Amino acid sequence: MQASDETLAFLRDVRVFEAFSDPDLVALTDRLRERDLRRHQILFREGDRGDEMFIVRRGTILISKAVTGKVEQVLVRVEPFDFFGEMSLFDGSPRSATAQAETDVELLVLGRDSLQAMTETAPRAAAAFFYAMVQVFMERLRRSTQQVAEATRWGLEATGLDVEAR
Amino acid sequence: MQRPTPAKFELLVRRDDEEGFELRQVASVTGYLNSRPRRIEPDAYEISELRSRVAVAPGFILKNKTTDRFLLLSEPERFLWDQMDGATSLQEIATAYVLKYGEFDFEIIPSLLRKLQRAQLLTFEPRSRLRAVLARNRGRAVVKAIELVLTSLERIRISTHNVQGFFQALYRFGGFLLFTPIAAIACAVLAVAGAAAALVLFRDVHDMLEGFGGHALRGVLTVKLLFFASVALHQFVHGLACVHYRRRVREFGFTFLHGFVPTFYIDVTDIFMASRRARVVTAVTGALVHLALGAVAFIVAAQAPTGSFTQAFAAASGIIQWQALIVALYPFCFIEMDGYHILVDVLGVPTLKHDAIGYAKSLLTGAGRILGEGREELLWIAYVVLSTISVAAFIAFNAWIIFSATH
Repeated sequence: MQASDETLAFLRDVRVFEAFSDPDLVALTDRLRERDLRRHQILFREGDRGDEMFIVRRGTILISKAVTGKVEQVLVRVEPFDFFGEMSLFDGSPRSATAQAETDVELLVLGRDSLQAMTETAPRAAAAFFYAMVQVFMERLRRSTQQVAEATRWGLEATGLDVEAR
Repeated sequence: MQRPTPAKFELLVRRDDEEGFELRQVASVTGYLNSRPRRIEPDAYEISELRSRVAVAPGFILKNKTTDRFLLLSEPERFLWDQMDGATSLQEIATAYVLKYGEFDFEIIPSLLRKLQRAQLLTFEPRSRLRAVLARNRGRAVVKAIELVLTSLERIRISTHNVQGFFQALYRFGGFLLFTPIAAIACAVLAVAGAAAALVLFRDVHDMLEGFGGHALRGVLTVKLLFFASVALHQFVHGLACVHYRRRVREFGFTFLHGFVPTFYIDVTDIFMASRRARVVTAVTGALVHLALGAVAFIVAAQAPTGSFTQAFAAASGIIQWQALIVALYPFCFIEMDGYHILVDVLGVPTLKHDAIGYAKSLLTGAGRILGEGREELLWIAYVVLSTISVAAFIAFNAWIIFSATH
């Protein structure tokens, strides 16, 4: 992918690349691929194999997890400058949720091979990337914990269960 | 302290085309209103009236025989307790409460639920007996398959909550005409003309239905399809009546009732906030769709050549439409249709069917008195007897029609 000024400016605002120097960003841009999705197109399904992470450049991606039958719970909406799919990038495990375009979407794709190459050729940038990634993971873990609490609150409110008095 | 906003889930519901979906916000309050509280088994509790010279209103003592916990219930709470049969949703229970007491206390149901839960007098088991039996025998492949089919069919629910604007427009652009004296007169004239045509036709049912000849299957399917469309029209008119009385249509949709009966439905429960006349008109006008369509069908059949497919088709449609009218308006048939709702509204006994069947069961098992002195017991017996006779007559009439057509 060509390292245009616009792409470089965009990547500077992506959290995991914030600490990258300009040459590192240019090198990274060469390793990224572009991918467009039309509205409602499914990028990957829960259980699919995957080894790429995606950065949203334009549009919104819905991340959802199957609950029952045709019903899925929306876990998060991924907006521009945010990323998703990084879990399979690291451990190669099946996708833990489904990603689908809510609107027309432009993505940048970072594959495992590119990440490995970056680790070898630009260790400083790779370290910054992993450090930022750990911070994002912690935030997401906090959000998941909050979602569990919210699901419990939903259940209690929906059943009218009076736990305090038990 | 400020109350937190109700918890919400955002759900993505897939359509059949795989990529298509609909996003729905489901607030906990929706789950709460659709929950069906169920009291514990009858042999696990005991209830008795508490009479006091001081208190004006009667009270009740409810005892959990397993835990030996006691609960004092007021008369309205006793009424609510009786509704908690595992099949009635909290929304329906609240509606029944409004019908009985003419007002609503927003705290009574949640506080009663809390009390009952503390005393372990409620359970959260499967809501229908069929479901309970299926759940118990889930190990068998056939049972599992039936459960799967029922669950899949129950999930088919195409509905929209954003219908008020549509019905308002429909009302503005001609729907209002249905609620004028001219429409009432036209309906009455059509009914008389239809009845006259039906009398002529019924002189020889065999000739009339002979027109199906070798196209019996096609005939039956087309008649059913047309009837299915008229059910949607029936619901539409309920919606127009609701708008006529300036109340809100909350939902319109299609689903499989009990998992296997395809039906259209409309939520016009907002009409409970209007006058009794409004409720009666809303209930009756929907059913009158079948009167008008049936009359037109009989008139067409009377004009069609004897023994033709058109005559057979129109006559069969007329019979089905008028049967639907009777089923919808006749309250004594064990089905809670429009007529039943009018009856319980007028009598002020929203749980008539439930209580009547319960009383009949207690008589059959020897647990109840043979004949109580109260008006309520007489009403329950009348309901069960009339409904039983009516259902038997309905089956006999249809058997006669089929017999006459085939011999």
